[in-house]
Amino acid sequence: MAGAIIENMSTKKLCIVGGILLVFQVIAFLVGGLIAPSPTTAVPYMSVKCIDVRKNHHKTKWLMPWGPNHCEKLKDFDEAVSRQIEANDIVFAVHIPLPSKEMSPWFQFMLFIMQLDIAFKMDNDLKENAEITLDVSLAYRDDMFDDWKEIAHAIEIRKLKCTFGSPKTLESEGRHYDCDFLPFMEIGSVAHKYYLLNIRLPVNERKGINVGIGEIKDIRLVGIHQNGGFTKVWFAMKTFLTPSILIIMIWYWRRITLMTRAPVLLEKVIFALGISMTFINIPVEWFSIGFDWTWMLLFGDIRQGIFYAMLLSFWIIFCGEHMMDQNERNRLSGYWKQVGPIAVGSFCLFIFDMCERGVQLKNPFYSIWTTEVGTELAMAFIIVAGICLCLYFLFLCFMVFQVFRNISGKQSSLPAMSKARRLHYEGLIFRFKFLMLITLACAAMTVIFFIVSQVTEGHWKWGDITIQVNSAFFTGIYGMWNLYVFALMFLYAPSHKNYGEDQSNGDLGVNSGEELQLTTTITHVDGPTEVYKLARKEAQE
Amino acid sequence: MSPEALSNLALVSQPFPPNQSCCRCRYLAKLSSVGSISEEETCEKLKGLIQRQVQMCKRNLEVMDSVRRGAQLAIEECQYQFRNRRWNCSTLDTLPVFGKVVTQGTREAAFVYAISSAGVAFAVTRACSSGELDKCGCDRTVQGGSPQGFQWSGCSDNIAYGVAFSQSFVDVRERSKGASSNRALMNLHNNEAGRKAILNNMRVECKCHGVSGSCEFKTCWKAMPPFRKVGNVLKEKFDGATEVEQSEIGSTKVLVPKNSQFKPHTDEDLVYLDSSPDFCDHDLKNGVLGTSGRQCNKTSKAIDGCELMCCGRGFHTDEVEVVERCSCKFHWCCSVKCKPCHRVVEIHTCR
Repeated sequence: MAGAIIENMSTKKLCIVGGILLVFQVIAFLVGGLIAPSPTTAVPYMSVKCIDVRKNHHKTKWLMPWGPNHCEKLKDFDEAVSRQIEANDIVFAVHIPLPSKEMSPWFQFMLFIMQLDIAFKMDNDLKENAEITLDVSLAYRDDMFDDWKEIAHAIEIRKLKCTFGSPKTLESEGRHYDCDFLPFMEIGSVAHKYYLLNIRLPVNERKGINVGIGEIKDIRLVGIHQNGGFTKVWFAMKTFLTPSILIIMIWYWRRITLMTRAPVLLEKVIFALGISMTFINIPVEWFSIGFDWTWMLLFGDIRQGIFYAMLLSFWIIFCGEHMMDQNERNRLSGYWKQVGPIAVGSFCLFIFDMCERGVQLKNPFYSIWTTEVGTELAMAFIIVAGICLCLYFLFLCFMVFQVFRNISGKQSSLPAMSKARRLHYEGLIFRFKFLMLITLACAAMTVIFFIVSQVTEGHWKWGDITIQVNSAFFTGIYGMWNLYVFALMFLYAPSHKNYGEDQSNGDLGVNSGEELQLTTTITHVDGPTEVYKLARKEAQE
Repeated sequence: MSPEALSNLALVSQPFPPNQSCCRCRYLAKLSSVGSISEEETCEKLKGLIQRQVQMCKRNLEVMDSVRRGAQLAIEECQYQFRNRRWNCSTLDTLPVFGKVVTQGTREAAFVYAISSAGVAFAVTRACSSGELDKCGCDRTVQGGSPQGFQWSGCSDNIAYGVAFSQSFVDVRERSKGASSNRALMNLHNNEAGRKAILNNMRVECKCHGVSGSCEFKTCWKAMPPFRKVGNVLKEKFDGATEVEQSEIGSTKVLVPKNSQFKPHTDEDLVYLDSSPDFCDHDLKNGVLGTSGRQCNKTSKAIDGCELMCCGRGFHTDEVEVVERCSCKFHWCCSVKCKPCHRVVEIHTCR
């Protein structure tokens, strides 16, 4: 990968390219900040307490909280006591969405969390490590007058993690426990207009089911879905970015195949990075508008994972290939120590994701965090992945340090070198420093924007203009890494120019079509071909 | 007291109630106990509402049930918070329901106004989330109420609707008078303080749902505090309420602390104009029930102690056998199996 475009480009042209990229970067931020709404919406739902009056005769299975066929409602549980209604006859019903609204495939996913309002009673205290057993079923319909069709039914156990702020005396009876919210449901596609949840809390004293869970006052759900507007902007962005990266990728590969030598490792890695970027970019999500593909969420995770793994590998290999020491690398196996942790870490996260979102394809109420074993397993996967990441960064930092050490070593001996060698090393150093700079800038931008979007509230207001910080973060950072890959493929593609062409005039013109194969791997210029080539070059000079 | 909750609310926010006969008020109580307010005619029959409120009632029939529930909630909470005080938020069968205590500009009135407007906002917001109301959230946002707005960017929080409804329904009484009398100013301020007690105590909760559950994607929402918490906050504000008087700044009338040494009150603080009576003696004319016959705590030195509660009149002590529930087996709802336990306790009642 000798003589990349970046080395032979004049500063002016480089500035122009940089400027154009910057303009696109700003556009990416503005698209998210000004056009798109906030990425997600949380809708609070209060469950309605229905009485299941049918007992054993199955007339309708589904109980509606409101609307023309709504169930017989209980105002509160004092009413239930006076009417001698049992816990097993009570069904908590939630209709999604709220009245006069419709769900839409543009929402992409739905996830629900559950909050229990449990009142403190002196003689009905919450048991230590209490577990609640939920009998949940989910149904859908696309027309207000259709019958409900079941999607899923499950019996789920959730641990209650509650604290009580006040002293447990008679005085504080009626105060609510402070309970952590429970993960409840996750669906990877919103293909239907209306959904209905029926939740039961069956009591079985003999088996100890739902005993000692305190006095439940209410069940609240919070539904989170992606905003349709954000989805549309996101799709538009992907649809625009896919061809841009694809075109530069084809151009890049054509340049490499035009050369007489085989592509080196670094060139292949950059190409692979381009492929993984395109893989993320390809807007297959368009299909989710027409089809009920619940696996899209999982697929999106996998695509992102592949890109991250590729990006991390690229950094390592880039450093390695600019090491300027005497080692022959140029093959992936030379990097097993550094790439190994990436592979292990990504694999761990993949397994974890399969255990969580993979199982959710079958049972949307499943969560790995609800059981003790599951939690430990999940934590183990995440910790291993974390360790791998730390290990990776240690390696990376060490390698960057080594490269800089070698650079300073080489710089002192630069004046003594022959012109070709000097230019070769200067090119290497410049290439490395340039990538180092933009990588750090991109990483810093990502981190800063991540922190800003976490810390501040969702939007900023300047007069009449509202800026959606979170959306700007997503589109901006996504655009930024696309531009990063784009710039990488453009600037680090092999140049057709030769070293020194800029300085010399005319007499080197004969060489212009020829590629000087100073591969980065064989940096010490003593291989037979290199010697030959350099000799020839010097002879020409 | 619950059936007359709606009338209570109406009266709560009414500084000078018309002298109405008791029969009419019983009729009201009966009316609301019948069930939901589902017809426009019902609105007209609700005495205690002013004309603008009747119009709002007709226009927002579906919300009125929640208003009634909010009023009920407010009264229950008021009685809970004041259970140990001389004035225990007791309601009367006559008009006005809280007695004259509330029609004067006292601390107690400030609390009742605040908790009522908070109760309405709370109940309406709750009804929104349970799907009882058609036009929450989305209607009041800039994006408009079409399904398109919901699909593009979701709807605003229901609490915004609840608060806005409470503002327009409860405050309209004061506003219709031009909001210039100091009572109207005080009531408006306390109504707003009640709603602020909800708004400023909203819990922000967040859920991470990025790749593998990372916080790359994070969604936050605001959850309403339990109403008990709202009651506690307002009770604290009651204890630290500011006595105010009217003053004119430019052409607008404002309330400023009577004692200029005190720092000015904020939006969240309760304000009052008149000092309260001692609530010791039975005085039906002013709607004060007095403390005779109230239970007190012999060992306490606080306001629930017999010393203070009985206003120095002394107390009776009776030994009473009470039947309590013990070794109970509870289900999360409805079913309680207990053994009766007999216990002898000393009960102190004020003379």
